[in-house]
Parts: sequence; structure tokens; C-alpha cells
Amino acid sequence: MGAETLTSSGPEYTVKKRWFTDKVYNNISYLIMVLPGAIWLFLFSYLPMPGIIMAFKTYRLQRPPADFWIQNKFVYSLLKSPWVGLKNFEYLTLPTNIDSTLTYIRNTVLYNLLFMVVGLVLSVALAVVIYELTNRFWAKLYHSILFLPYFISWIVVAYVVYAMGSSNGIINDLLTQMGMKTIEVYKMKAAWPFIFLVANLWKYTGNGSIIYLATITSIDRELYEAAAIDGATKWRQFVHITLPHLIPVIVLLQILAVGRIFGSDFDMFYTLPNGAAVVKDVTYTLDVFVYNMLRSGSPLGYPAAAAFLQSVVGFILILVTNFFVRKTRPELALF
Amino acid sequence: MANELNFDKNKTIGPDLPILLPEKKGKAKDMLALSPAANAILNILMIIVCILALIPIYVIVIASVTSEAALTENGYRLWPAEFSGIAYTFLFSQGSIIITAYINTILATLAGTAISVAMVGLYAYAISRPNFKFKGFFTFYAFFTMLFGGGLVAYYMVTRQVLQIQNSLWALFLPSAFSPFWVIVMRTFYRANVPNELIEAARMDGASEWRTLFQIVLPLSVPGLATVALFSAIGIWNNFFNCLLLVDEAKYYSLQFTIYTTLNNIRFLLENADKMAGLVNISALPSQTFRMAMAVVTVGPIIFAYPFFQRYFIRGLTIGAIKG
Repeated sequence: MGAETLTSSGPEYTVKKRWFTDKVYNNISYLIMVLPGAIWLFLFSYLPMPGIIMAFKTYRLQRPPADFWIQNKFVYSLLKSPWVGLKNFEYLTLPTNIDSTLTYIRNTVLYNLLFMVVGLVLSVALAVVIYELTNRFWAKLYHSILFLPYFISWIVVAYVVYAMGSSNGIINDLLTQMGMKTIEVYKMKAAWPFIFLVANLWKYTGNGSIIYLATITSIDRELYEAAAIDGATKWRQFVHITLPHLIPVIVLLQILAVGRIFGSDFDMFYTLPNGAAVVKDVTYTLDVFVYNMLRSGSPLGYPAAAAFLQSVVGFILILVTNFFVRKTRPELALF
Repeated sequence: MANELNFDKNKTIGPDLPILLPEKKGKAKDMLALSPAANAILNILMIIVCILALIPIYVIVIASVTSEAALTENGYRLWPAEFSGIAYTFLFSQGSIIITAYINTILATLAGTAISVAMVGLYAYAISRPNFKFKGFFTFYAFFTMLFGGGLVAYYMVTRQVLQIQNSLWALFLPSAFSPFWVIVMRTFYRANVPNELIEAARMDGASEWRTLFQIVLPLSVPGLATVALFSAIGIWNNFFNCLLLVDEAKYYSLQFTIYTTLNNIRFLLENADKMAGLVNISALPSQTFRMAMAVVTVGPIIFAYPFFQRYFIRGLTIGAIKG
């Protein structure tokens, strides 16, 4: 069913029919190939998009009347619930809520920035070190070991945090042996930024370095040889050869990361603190906040308003970042 | 926003990159090799980092084979005072919840991985073909979902009230069965690894689009598809969120969700107390070692996937991951 079977399309075909032949019949195999994925994307990504208007409505679950065009409670309720303007957003900024809202936004953004910067530096550093090591066997072994944490779920990491940091955990064991005061991480705010950072680096650095390692491997070695002949040190070779080659990948991944700056690694932030309420101020991100509101039985408009901020601000940020990248280095822009 | 995505420039990091770490041989080695001192320092540094990275895994494994008495008395230790395998005996003898969760997770992982590889592989292949008329549209259609989403609340309502996949095994893998990110990676992979001339030659010889795909393209795409398979298997095996959001009935719980609820829900043990009444004295219930043993068996199977896929996945990623 490819191009050669279509030679019969002669002048007797109408224009419309020829359009159908050219565009659809010609591509029918490809269209069938994209169909399952396209349906999935429609159901799980595009269908929720109109639901974003919940942020501006007082959502009330109602049963559609028998003659309504679609017999679905959610769709009917979404359409028929009254518009309330910015009322849901006002709830998030009430004097009683403004502090926590700002705290959760601050947590989300700062944790993301921290992971982006430190994660990037360490992933690139690891890739360079692995590449430079003289013994290939050991280099591969190190890399395999450091990739291993990627296989381990956040839930298991939550167990590790428990085993290390709970009142009878390993850390307290060591502290007691040294005659020092014990600590309890589930009650200690200062510990959490550190725990999240270490856990995040532990899990993702090995995985993150793969793409940089792949890029470094593809750089023509003659460039380095020429630089070495001219007396360039390893550091200067890195700055003037390696880094420029890595920039396209780095920029690409960072643009995408900027778009997710109002999102977070839900599993990590939700499971590691084990629901410890005392440390809420440093462990809640917008995702966790939205999820807890969603499940608490509060009016759905409130979490929807917070989720609206996440989606729209993320989208705007990615467009803005891409715009500036395109202004300065058009070849690096995402679109 | 321009509809023409920059991906089309097909900037790969070079199509002929068969191995990740080339052997450094000959003259180049002498010129570019690290000084022995720098090499030694870096090796020592890497060994320390690797040991630190392995400590958390070690802690869990050791705690799971420590006797409960030693754990209560001394707390967690790097080397236990007394070994005990009772947690594992208990874990697989008490039957219901862990076994159910295991079966659910294995089924979800197998089904989800198979569906994911098929959907991503086909979608990416179609949009990688220059003669597909709608490739621009379908590239954008997938890519746009990486930039914008309806948010958690809308997603929750749609999956529960429109798609109605809650409280079923579907809930554990269907939401994770496709990924625009891997579509973009695979699209680049096909372009870099399956020469267009080869596909056109097959088509000229009269092979159908599907036969070309299965007999010419597929054998060349194993590293890329294996990478997609590995990452979706890890993703589904370790998935916690799908179950948290969409499953309320214990018989459909995933492994991760089950062990999470156990971590701060000692009730779980008390509810199952009758089942192991004949096996072990309630007062000697191995609660802490039991939890750690649960964590170990949770990691177990997915770790075994690593060596199996390793020979492919670095190649797959190496070549594929740019521009996506």
C-alpha cells in the first residue's frame, strides 16, 4: 500500500479524491503506526487540558440530564459549574494561607534550581572523569555502580532515610558512640534540604552523566591532540573543547528543566519525609500541596488553581527561555 | 510558536559511534593520557564516591538479615551482632499482601513495557520517515505535551471519571505506557542508525511498509528499543504515583505502594497477625527487619534487568538522546 500502487490515480479522480489519495492513502501505514500513541496522548495528555478551567469555577459534581449530549458526570459538571473568576486564587492568598502558599512555591523553585545547578555540574564532572580515567575497566565499573541507584525507587530510599535517620538509626548510633547528642530527622527542619539534595544526586547523577559522556565520546580526538601539542592544559582543553561541545545538550536539557520548575519529583518529596508534619515547611512542594488538597475533600477549585499556576507558569517560562536562547544562539533553541 | 521543530535538523552526535568508551591506543594515549598522579587521585576519589553510593543499599540489606533482638538492642549497625533470615521466611509465608502486590507489579511491568516499546517504537518510526506527510504535525502533537499539561486535578478527574481506569491493573501501567520524551529519542535513533537508502531500497524491491519495518528496521533498532524497554520497565516497577492516585482496593496495590504504606503503618502487621500465628510469636514480631526485607525484595527483580540490558542501553542512549 505504498506509492507504486497509486499510479492508477488518473484524471478521472476529483480534486478532493486526489487529496485523500495523496495525503491519507499514501501514508496509511504511517498513520496506523502513530495511531496507538496518538490515542494515548489524546486520552492522557490532551483530554485533561480543558479541565484547566476548573481553576476559574466552583466545581460541583452533578448528574447530566438524560437528554444531554454527553452522559459523563465530569464533563457535564465541568461545563455547568458556575464561573467564579479569581475566587479560587484568592483562597490561596488569604491571610491565613498566603504564608504556606509562598513557602511551597519557594520550596519548589529553590529545590529545582538547586538540583539543576548541582546536578548539572556533577553530571558533567562525572562524565569527564570517567572519560579521562586511564583504565577502561575501572572506569566502566565506577559508572555502572553510580548508575545503580537509578533502579531504586524513592520508597526504598524512604526506608534508607528511616534506617539512617530515625531515633534508633545508624547516624544516632554513631553519635551515641561518640558521646554526642542524638538527632531525629523527622523533627529536624535543617536536615531536609540536605537529605533531598543528597538523595537526588545519588539517584540521578549516574544516569544524567550518560548523555554528557556520550557527547564527549563523540568529540574528535584530533582536537585534543592539536590542543595538547600547543601546550593546552587539561583544564583549558575542557573549557575550550569539551564545554563548547556540551553546550547544545546542556541548553536543551536546561530549557526543559525550566519548564518543570513549578513541578517536582512527587515521589521523593511525598515519601521521604514519611508524612512528618513538623517538617512540612521545608518538604512540601506545590505537587504535594496540590495532591493533599485534592485528597482532603476541599473544594476542587483550590487545588485546581494551584495546578493552573504550575501548568501555565511552567509553559510561559519555557517559551520565554526558548525565546531568549533563540535571540542569542538560534541554533540551540528548542523550537 | 513555529510549527517547524528544530529536531528536524537531525543534529546527532555522529552516526558511527559504536561504543561508548573507545579504546585509547597508540600515540594519542601518550599525549592525552592523564599523568599517573592525577589518574591515581581520580581513581581514589571515584572509589570513595562509589562506596558512599553503595552504603544505602548495603544498610538495607544488612538490616534485613539482622535479628530483631539485635536491632532493638543496638539499633542499626554496619555489621550485625546476630544474623537472622526470619524476615524473609515471614515475608513469603504470610501470603496475602506482598504476594498479591508482587504479582500485580510483575504483570503491570510486563504489560506496560511491551505496550510502551510497541507504541513508542511505531510512533517514532513513522515521524522519523521523511516521506510521511504528517510528520511535522505528529512530532508537534507529541512534543507539545512535554511543554504543557492540564495539571494534576484535571488529570485526576479525567482518569477517574472519564477513562475510569481506577481500581484495576490498567491503572498501574496504562498512564505510564507512552512517553513523548522517548519518542523524540527514538526518532533521532532511527535517523542515525537506519540509513534511509536501505529503507528505500527495500520499498523499491516491493516490500511493504510493514515488512520493511519488521525485517529491515527492527533488527537495526534493538539497542534503541532495549533502552526504551529498560527505562519503561524501571519506571513502571518503581511507580508509586499511579497506585496512590488511582487505586483504593488492596487487591490492586502495587509493590511500591504496599511497602510505602507499611513503612508507617504497623497496623499492616497486626492485621496479618492471625496468618502467622502458628509461625512466630506475636511479641517477637520482626517488624523492623521485616520492613527492610520488604525493601530488599522490592529492589530485587529490577536489578536483574540491569546486566541483561546493559550491553544495549548505553549504545541506545549514546546515539539517541540528543535533541530530546
